[in-house]
Amino acid sequence: MKINIKKELICHIFLIAAVIISLWPVVFMLSASFKELNQIFQSPLNPLPSSPTLENYMTVLGRFPIFDFIWNTFFIAFFVTFFKLTTSLLAGFAFVYYRFKGKELLFNSMLMTFFIPVTVLIMPNYLLISHVGLLNTPYGVMLTELADGMGIFLMRQAMRSIPKALLESAVLEGAGPIYLLRSVVFPLVRPSVIAIGIMFFINSWNEYFWPLLILKDKSQYTLSLALQMFISAEGGSEWGIAMAVAVLTSLPPLILYLFFQKFILNTFMQAGVKG
Amino acid sequence: MNRLSGKGYAFFLPSVLIFFVFYYWPLLVNLGLSFFSWNMVSAKAKFVGISNYIAIIQSPEFYQVVGNTILFIVFLLVFNFILPYFYSYMMAHMLKYGKTIYRSLLFLPSLLSLAVASIIFLWIYNPMAGPVNEIVKMVGGTSPRWFKEPYIVLFSISSIIGWKVFGYNMILLLAAMVSVPREIIEAARLENASDWIIFKKIILPQTSSSAMYVFVITVVFGLQYVMVPVNMLTQGGPDQGSANLVYVIYQYAFVFYQTGKSAAYAMITMMLFTLFLGWRSRVADKKVYYEN
Repeated sequence: MKINIKKELICHIFLIAAVIISLWPVVFMLSASFKELNQIFQSPLNPLPSSPTLENYMTVLGRFPIFDFIWNTFFIAFFVTFFKLTTSLLAGFAFVYYRFKGKELLFNSMLMTFFIPVTVLIMPNYLLISHVGLLNTPYGVMLTELADGMGIFLMRQAMRSIPKALLESAVLEGAGPIYLLRSVVFPLVRPSVIAIGIMFFINSWNEYFWPLLILKDKSQYTLSLALQMFISAEGGSEWGIAMAVAVLTSLPPLILYLFFQKFILNTFMQAGVKG
Repeated sequence: MNRLSGKGYAFFLPSVLIFFVFYYWPLLVNLGLSFFSWNMVSAKAKFVGISNYIAIIQSPEFYQVVGNTILFIVFLLVFNFILPYFYSYMMAHMLKYGKTIYRSLLFLPSLLSLAVASIIFLWIYNPMAGPVNEIVKMVGGTSPRWFKEPYIVLFSISSIIGWKVFGYNMILLLAAMVSVPREIIEAARLENASDWIIFKKIILPQTSSSAMYVFVITVVFGLQYVMVPVNMLTQGGPDQGSANLVYVIYQYAFVFYQTGKSAAYAMITMMLFTLFLGWRSRVADKKVYYEN
């Protein structure tokens, strides 16, 4: 293909503008977390702190139980990811392995849960969680999130790409469903499992609304809820500290992205191709 | 392959249980609660028939909230559907160099949490000394109070979601754009077809099923994402100026403690969403070109 220089240049201008808008808030968050407060106010447009300081991070470590927040967030995200992966693997496999009446209906009603707006569910679920005495515990947050419609969909997609003949020959040799899932299917879909797991983890790590309702006690807070504490001080005395907490909150997803970029992008792209 | 039998049900059981208890049962609970007046704490709930629904439909607030919802949808569609669509086209079919790097960088904001995004933009839009204000001042204007004025607040909130979701949706659309066979486009180019003709006659129809999906998630998820900045930054204000249909459900339950109205709002919203999704699948059946 011949390159049209003018066209190529215009494309780059548009894309670079988009990249600047996309990254500027992230750069801003990083730089403000290393700035002293008066610097944040004096030169809001300058991304480089003139005399970088760790003071904001020291304050965060000293004044807030930040390690508790990190642990609470991790604890919930880890178990939610583990259970969602397990239930999605099992259900996804069953959809590929079994044939039965009403399969499409079952599949669609599982996928539909993905589109039900959360607020339609939160009040009844809140009442239920409070009824069984799990308010203010991480288990109350996790319990409603042990299965995932999108996860089942993506697992089934991944398993469908395994050649039918491979599965059939294993069945002919007398392999039961559990053996088949563990020893034939799972190794083949491992890349998808990793990518879907990362997606689950990041989503749970970033979650705000449901934990907000369930976790009332500061000692139970996740990072996203802890961020809220800085907004009440809207006078603006805490910007640097707020940005330091924001950076700490964003680090795990960003690090995961750095290492698993290909996996993540490919899974997200798969999710879109067949809607 | 195999008929579902005893052991097979065990594979579905965990998911079915979770979905029933925490997704479908709550819909029924909501339907029930919507006929009662109850403040969540008192032991007794009073049966009031359909008067919650009537009260909602007769209140000016309902129409304001529906209006806000529509404006949110318009902004979100521009930021998270139309723009990503053109960008993904540009990246797949006009650009030669730098695709992978642009892709990686533009996706990055979607990894950050909405809580983080909200707090960053609270500062970015700070009307006293925030960066946007500085830029407005440089070109000689005065910055509005971004989160405190009617209508402007809808734009400011949507722009936060727009910033976060743009790259994600672009990646979804890019997957569809890339899968349009190159040969068709090359052939059209040989016939001297313009970019516009190629876009309209080849790209648009070939990407329509993915575009439809992104259109739907932009609306359905966008309205839910909006709740995070709304709750953190405006609490639905000024004067319910940034409350949408998804957010009022939360407000009536957990801020005003009127579970009946909350449930009635939930049913109305659910109905509108269902109509929207139903309309989508009808359009999809008729007009959309499915690859494979």
